[in-house]
Amino acid sequence: MPWFLHLALRQLFPPGKRFPAFATVSILGVGLGVAALLVVQTVMNGFGEEHRLRIRESFGDCVVVARTPIERPQDLLKALRADPAVASATPFSEGPALARQGDFSNVAYVRGIDPTDAGHPARKYVFAGGFDELDDGRVILGFGLARALRVQVGDKIEVWSPAMAERAEQGKAPLPAVFEVCALVRTGFTEVDDRAAFIPLRRFNQLWSMGDRVHGLTLRLKEPAQAYEIAARLNVGRPTLQFVPWQEIKKNFLEAIRFEKTMLFFLMFIITLVASFSIGSTLFSAVIRRSREVGVLVALGARRLDLVALFGLQGMLIGALGTSLGFLLTWLILAFREQILGTINSLFGNGDMVANVYQFSKVPLHYDASDFVVAAAFTLLVTTIAGLVPALWAAGRKPSEAMRDA
Amino acid sequence: MPEPTIVLSARGLQKSFASPAGPLAVLRSVDLVVHAGESVSIRGSSGSGKTTLLQLLGGLDVADAGEANFLLPGRGLVPARKNLGKGVGFVFQNYQLMPELNALENVLLAAQVAGRPAAAAEAQALLESVGLGSRLRHLPAQLSGGECQRVAIARALINRPSVLLADEPTGNLDEATGAEVMRLLLEVVAQRGTALVLVTHSREFAARTDRQWVLSNGVLSPA
Repeated sequence: MPWFLHLALRQLFPPGKRFPAFATVSILGVGLGVAALLVVQTVMNGFGEEHRLRIRESFGDCVVVARTPIERPQDLLKALRADPAVASATPFSEGPALARQGDFSNVAYVRGIDPTDAGHPARKYVFAGGFDELDDGRVILGFGLARALRVQVGDKIEVWSPAMAERAEQGKAPLPAVFEVCALVRTGFTEVDDRAAFIPLRRFNQLWSMGDRVHGLTLRLKEPAQAYEIAARLNVGRPTLQFVPWQEIKKNFLEAIRFEKTMLFFLMFIITLVASFSIGSTLFSAVIRRSREVGVLVALGARRLDLVALFGLQGMLIGALGTSLGFLLTWLILAFREQILGTINSLFGNGDMVANVYQFSKVPLHYDASDFVVAAAFTLLVTTIAGLVPALWAAGRKPSEAMRDA
Repeated sequence: MPEPTIVLSARGLQKSFASPAGPLAVLRSVDLVVHAGESVSIRGSSGSGKTTLLQLLGGLDVADAGEANFLLPGRGLVPARKNLGKGVGFVFQNYQLMPELNALENVLLAAQVAGRPAAAAEAQALLESVGLGSRLRHLPAQLSGGECQRVAIARALINRPSVLLADEPTGNLDEATGAEVMRLLLEVVAQRGTALVLVTHSREFAARTDRQWVLSNGVLSPA
């Protein structure tokens, strides 16, 4: 082991001291900074991932639409289902309607779906009733819409479609369609929960006079992450259709989440920077305190580079140990996040904010290796620089001055 | 009879420090030659420039004028400033040991810094020769002042310097311990044939060296 590394280790961890003050406080400071950075990043990743998943589950991995309703969708469905990248393809139609129950009415965004679709994402978000109850006389409502109409599972609502206005124009008596609410869904997306009403596609097409045409197709892909490339490939030779990958469906929302993550990284970066500055100042005072030792080392023949290495290594070691501690703290905090959040909620009486505001059953997580690599590299860099500044100062002094000043 | 080998040579050394009243000349053209195996003492009042002279001789400071060279085996007389730690050993008044290293590690550190990492046996032998064979693993805080200075002497000798510069090595010790350390210092340098330049206030210790000098008003003259 080079002498300067040996001495650096001994100066950081003097023999006989279990928790040397300088090393303990510095390593703890860096560890807390790194943990704060990574906990925030990992939870933000989790929120992002959860939202991305919900977007995909609510809207599909890829939506196929056209300027006009798609004629004879069966041919297109058959072709798309045969594509190796496509896991499933289902038709849908959608449109606004007036939903009414007694004196309460609201705009509903009605979506015609295949009730036999075993993989339909709405199944996952049913919290009352049953998806399989859906038939021509029943409807599945979003949680917010049901609340606005003051209905529960088993109640009945009227649905007035725009096609009924056409009937009135033709002098026919427009009669509303009556549906029994068979299930309620809660996805966490306000625009889905407050507006969505699911009815069988066949029934939708009757009410909207669509014949056998549909408004679009929902594709689920085997590799959702490659939705952009697959959509572009599927679009080739189908100029009248538009294949919209899920990343484009809620692009602004996803951008907002990404921006939020970047801003939080920036804030946490400043916290870690402050921690590193405190290491720099502490190391500086340690170097000044060791002025005589620096002078002696020069008298013994230590080169300028050796002294830089001696004190620079101490900063780097603090960074490395602090980062390791930060990783451990991150894991601990995230492993017990529900208990920590529960304690905070009970102390401040916020209720279950994650469930109420974000509609997540628990704080979502997503570990991203690159966050850990960036945090480790950044911390090591900053703490090493924090050690190098006083090291360069010490190395630049005349030994006679160093020995006289201490 | 062959001419004795010169191990330390200083010619025309001058040094002044800035003061509110203008430059304060501490050394005015100091000349000094030390031969192999010879012991030389320099006495002077406090502030007379003894430590400054020693630092210039050892290359720890830069002279305003003049030059200091010492013998580096195989290379002849070389500038002290550019060859720190190679041919000169230092013993300081305050021992200047690394507090986190034990006695053996302190001695070994000097060898490692000089590029001789495998000198553990030699370091141990040196410590045994200064009477610290049973205190090898003790930290400086666990040693007495006299023991610390013995470690410092062993450290100064580990790289087999041709000359040892000792700056008031008994200054922090009581009379009996100081006398013991001085006896040991003179003994080990004599045994190893190392020249000694001793800066001291003590006439008694100075009298034990081969040649005695006095530094006064920036001028070095025979006592």
